[in-house]
Amino acid sequence: MTPKMSFSDILASTLHDTKNSLGILFNNLENIIAGCREKNCAQYQDFYLLQYEIKRLNHSLIRLLSLYKAEKSQLTMNVDFHSARELLEDVAVQHEILLASRGIQVDIDCDGGLFHAMDRNLIMGVIDNIINNAFRYTKSAVRLSAAVDGGYFVIRVEDDGDGYPPSMLFNEQQDPNFSGNVDFSTGSTGLGLYFSTMVAQMHVNRDQSGFISIYNGGTLRGGVFSIYLP
Amino acid sequence: MVKQEATANINLKMKKVLVVDDFFNFRLTMKNMLRSLGIMYIDDAANGEEAIKKLAARKFDIILCDYNLGPGKSGQQVLEEAKYRGYINYAGIFIMVTAENTLEMIMGAMEYEPDDYLMKPFAKEVLEKKIKSVTLKKENVRDIEKAIIDSDFDHALRICDELIAQSPANLAEIMKLKGEVLLKKGAYAEAAEFYDKVLTMGNMTWARLGRGRADLLLGRYEDAKNRFEEILAQNNKVIAAYDELARTYLKSGQPEEAQQVLMKAAAISPRALLRHKTLGGLAYRNEDYTTAETSFRAAVVHGKHSCFKTTSDYTQLAKSMVMRDALQESLQVLGQASREFPESPDTRLHLSAAESLVYTKMNKPAEAKRALAQAHKYAQDLAGDLPSAVALDLAQAHLLAGDVEKGTDIIRGVIGANHDNDDVLNTIRIVFKETGMPEKGEKIIKDTTEDIMRLNNEGVDLARRGKLAEAIDYFEKAAARLPENKIINANAAQVLMLFMKQNGPDEERLSKASSYLERVRRIDGAYADIPMLLSMYRELASREVSS
Repeated sequence: MTPKMSFSDILASTLHDTKNSLGILFNNLENIIAGCREKNCAQYQDFYLLQYEIKRLNHSLIRLLSLYKAEKSQLTMNVDFHSARELLEDVAVQHEILLASRGIQVDIDCDGGLFHAMDRNLIMGVIDNIINNAFRYTKSAVRLSAAVDGGYFVIRVEDDGDGYPPSMLFNEQQDPNFSGNVDFSTGSTGLGLYFSTMVAQMHVNRDQSGFISIYNGGTLRGGVFSIYLP
Repeated sequence: MVKQEATANINLKMKKVLVVDDFFNFRLTMKNMLRSLGIMYIDDAANGEEAIKKLAARKFDIILCDYNLGPGKSGQQVLEEAKYRGYINYAGIFIMVTAENTLEMIMGAMEYEPDDYLMKPFAKEVLEKKIKSVTLKKENVRDIEKAIIDSDFDHALRICDELIAQSPANLAEIMKLKGEVLLKKGAYAEAAEFYDKVLTMGNMTWARLGRGRADLLLGRYEDAKNRFEEILAQNNKVIAAYDELARTYLKSGQPEEAQQVLMKAAAISPRALLRHKTLGGLAYRNEDYTTAETSFRAAVVHGKHSCFKTTSDYTQLAKSMVMRDALQESLQVLGQASREFPESPDTRLHLSAAESLVYTKMNKPAEAKRALAQAHKYAQDLAGDLPSAVALDLAQAHLLAGDVEKGTDIIRGVIGANHDNDDVLNTIRIVFKETGMPEKGEKIIKDTTEDIMRLNNEGVDLARRGKLAEAIDYFEKAAARLPENKIINANAAQVLMLFMKQNGPDEERLSKASSYLERVRRIDGAYADIPMLLSMYRELASREVSS
């Protein structure tokens, strides 16, 4: 008899498979959009929405795979010294066409000389997730910024929407020792929050670990998500 | 919109780009994307073999290669071979395209790293940003890499420091390079200090590895072990840490422990060919023939499409099998090798010599003699210019066939070229042990080594007493006798240069010095004195030009 596979391993291998199919779907759509743009047909804006959903799915799968690896203690950090500006630019370039199709502008505020040690892929996964959310709730702008604040390196994603609902607010005072739990009742958003917290906490330096904060207000008077790294 | 002042000015139009992917649709999409970026010269390859052919025929500026290329060469093997064969130089850009974030792969391939990774799926804008930012980064790294290739480490360090002061986007890469240059230059204490400083900025694995390497090279083996073990305790997938830990165990005289460590690494990264070879050799030396056989078999299997495949993988597998009394299978391995390698004298020589060994073990003296005679004939065709692994197999075959004189002659030649190389000397000890003459062999090693050291010291002594003209004469003769000995050749170059320092440079001596230096670099590119000798040479050459 063949040995029984664990359900979580089956899940993981299915995830890989699904992710590959999504990749092909994404690229085919990319071709269709390009052809559409050339011919100036009206629907290409609609295709962007399709692409958006594919991206969202893709990011969910990446997150799920990361969480699976974390569960199996296989998720390891690949920390290096990265330019904050370059990281934010790389995130923005992935989203800006889609956001622009809805009239949303992306702005970056970050000193070119700012560097920090972090796992680039994990941090990018966190920000991608937040921007994908902002796409649905913001009105006209998304602002990405990075700075040093109280001895921590912080990346912020702000929008000019109506702000996060009260149940989603988290560590509004930006307290490094905040011990509140993530509320899962909000479904996929809760999972995103859980992932962000995990990534923040995986970043440890001199006995300090990272944390996140969600509040309303900020420069754009909308939602503000921050991830702090020691 | 996002500001991209820095990358906006890069012109991609004239770049030659190669796309490697096994999916037709993906190649098509990629080519369309590239065309829309204004790139005019785009070629593609459907597999690794085709990619290598195209890379050999033409210099490409940018290579976008998928990691997983189906059967045949992998993306990593394309990268290794293209770099190894010089199809991509320090200016070429290699971007590895992957289906997902595979950290294991990234950490596994320290020796040949791509310039960047690109995760599928990606839109045109992402591809453009990636190509432009890598091109921009490459521009500042290019001069450092060129200086490293020229062994001009001081110049490389100057560029690193200038760049670090400017905080470019690839600051981490520049710091990484600076640490490597310090280690290459032999400035180990300075390297340790540098890595300590970097580590206050963040807990980077590369910096911890570098710090451990500095300890290893400073001879602080216990500290080095602790550092590598700490890295592995936090992340057991950092393959380079296993390699360094094994090296440290070997240096501190613990070959069994080294073997254990490499076995763990090989289990995590089963496709890495060179590690299987190292592990096999180590296990053989430790007389663990089961592991040796497994490792060399893995080397043979994973080497099928690799540029690092050699006849030694097969002969060593065959020898490990002989030790386990699997004589018939051992012959089959050699038969397989003779089908897989081209009909050239060096491959035939090596395989015939190994065959002779196996026949002797099978108690078939006639066949053994026939194979050995064939090997001997090929050896004469090659006029003695043999890699040490091949020469030693031939020597062992002669010794086993009872021709002690021929066997020991060849071995003396190998010692002459490698009298300071512990790995080769240890292999020679194994040959003597397996041919039942360990004591006599040890004496041969000792006598030959002392002979060369005496020869070298006399020359050095002449130079010390200021008799430089005589020293030149002396070392030129010595180098003619021992053309493969790096110390003798390095000293020949050095006395020539010392002479010119006193008496002014001249074309003839400069060209002689240069050819001795070339020999040293070919024999051992990592020889510690090379940077010093080269900077001496550069100074003299510039004086000659300006005079």
